[in-house]
Amino acid sequence: MKAKDFYKFVAPSLIAMGTLLVFPLVMATWLGLNFMTYRNINNPVFVGLANYIEVLTDQRFWQAFRFTVLFIAITVPATIVIGFLLALFLDQISGHVRGVFITTYLLPMVIVPVVGTMMFRLLFVPSGIAAWLYQEILKQPFFFNEVSVKILIILNAIWTTTPFPFIVMYAGLQTLPQEQIEAALMDGANRRQQVRYIVIPHLSSLLVFLGLILIMDAYRVFDSIFVLTQQNPIYKAASVMSYIFRTAMAVQQLGLANAMAILTVIMVMIVLIPLLVHTYHDQIEER
Amino acid sequence: MQKIKNPIALTLIYLALIAYALFSVAPVVWTTLQSLKTPRQAYSPTPLFIFDATFDNYRDLWLNSVPKNPWLVGIILAGIVIGLVVIGFNANRIPGQNYIIYGGILVVSFLIVWMIPKFVNTAEFYKYFLNSVIVTLGTVTISLSIGCLAGYALARYSGIAGVLILVAALGFRALPSLALVLPYFWLGQVTGLYDTLALLIITLVAINQPFTIWMLRSFFMNIPRELEEAAMVDGCSRVSAFIKVIIPIMWPGIVSTGLFSLLLAYSDFLLAKILTRSNWTLTVAISQFTGGEDPGQLTLAAAAAVSATIPIVIVILFFQKQLIKGLTTGAVKG
Repeated sequence: MKAKDFYKFVAPSLIAMGTLLVFPLVMATWLGLNFMTYRNINNPVFVGLANYIEVLTDQRFWQAFRFTVLFIAITVPATIVIGFLLALFLDQISGHVRGVFITTYLLPMVIVPVVGTMMFRLLFVPSGIAAWLYQEILKQPFFFNEVSVKILIILNAIWTTTPFPFIVMYAGLQTLPQEQIEAALMDGANRRQQVRYIVIPHLSSLLVFLGLILIMDAYRVFDSIFVLTQQNPIYKAASVMSYIFRTAMAVQQLGLANAMAILTVIMVMIVLIPLLVHTYHDQIEER
Repeated sequence: MQKIKNPIALTLIYLALIAYALFSVAPVVWTTLQSLKTPRQAYSPTPLFIFDATFDNYRDLWLNSVPKNPWLVGIILAGIVIGLVVIGFNANRIPGQNYIIYGGILVVSFLIVWMIPKFVNTAEFYKYFLNSVIVTLGTVTISLSIGCLAGYALARYSGIAGVLILVAALGFRALPSLALVLPYFWLGQVTGLYDTLALLIITLVAINQPFTIWMLRSFFMNIPRELEEAAMVDGCSRVSAFIKVIIPIMWPGIVSTGLFSLLLAYSDFLLAKILTRSNWTLTVAISQFTGGEDPGQLTLAAAAAVSATIPIVIVILFFQKQLIKGLTTGAVKG
């Protein structure tokens, strides 16, 4: 394809992304340098780096950051391990039941996150069946408090996210090199050794891809926290995103919120840049 | 891997799979049960599984007043829906281009959804549902049209600019959308577009564009170049070769990408929450329910959650293959 044709075809998309992605990012950087609330929305006051200094010394911002890191550190490995086990198990059975299991497992992922979290929450409100079970077994009522809300946020994330690593690894298992398995059988390898020395190495490139995507998605967690905490700070379960949201919408500090947003972009970039460089080299080779 | 033969081990595997399946569906099943109860039943001290089901919650959610002859309205609507489904399944047997038929069905369904409030006294919730439908359809249509052009060009062009665009798009795909939305909020306030569906559609298109072009490009890569080259030798221009030769065989890829675009637009909460004040979409309307804990609200909230989920369940029942293919292609290759 000639360059002229290329630009003709990509122009609409490029203009859309340029004006609606690149420009807002520049805009956010600039707004982050201004003092702005709803009152002076038409004439922000330039304050330089003051917002950034305020964010970096804000205890609650760091608290939200720590919770987000904890959230990533638990949910990402947990969803990968559960997804891997489910994929291995499902690979062992045959027939139409497989399809039924796959559909069932995909359900939590395709449900709208806000709605899914609300359904999840209805299990634990006083009239919910999980709250009832808790009461029956432990002989004490289930309360929403600092600890239990955090646990629910993590459980809910496992519920919604696991289908993704599951289906990706299940598809990966279907492409397992049969010769290697046969050779291993000849050598008398047991099942655990097969998983350890053939299946896991075969899936390793997938694991890197999954890990990166899951980390970046987990970092953006917002919807479920909004529903489970009801925006109530007493649970101390804000994520970085929900804290920024609150700063912008409830506290109405738009300049400060933009500064936080830019800081988070910088943090994402640290994870992202190796991936981007890798993709760049990949694409250069492929063309 | 070879299958396990040991019956005990196999039983344990089935048990584990069934246990996780129960975990997967439990919230949905419980919410559905709650949505069919009266508040009194919903708050019974031991959970009720067998009870006199009532559709009152759905009625209160969707309608301000029940039409005088509900059965007639119901039968007419059901008739139209069944007719459209029958036409859809038999599109191959009807002469004429298939996509015109599918497009026609889509337009007619949309018109019905849009016209209903003229005949039936619908509640606020219906307005939010309609907003969600408009936003989703608008986003999918615009995303796919500009995304197809770009995806195709990116699959065929080997210059460095193409690689740079792809890498930049991937970068934006990974950024938290909150960083981009706050400036939109400001721009919306300043330009007066705040609280309009148009602003929401534009933002969703932009935010989903990186993902759309990556996915469409991977489908275009699988289409051999010889096809359009042959057409171009025969005197077609690049554009007409694209429209007449490539697009018709790209339908499966476009449907897959459209499906993901649809799910993303329909699921969006953050953008709608920030960019609307009263012109809510379904997700924002539903998030309002969660605050109240009084009994009437709970069953109503359950009905709202189930109502928002039914369209999604229908979509995955019809398009499960495309969904799984879309989830796994990019991943398994890389």
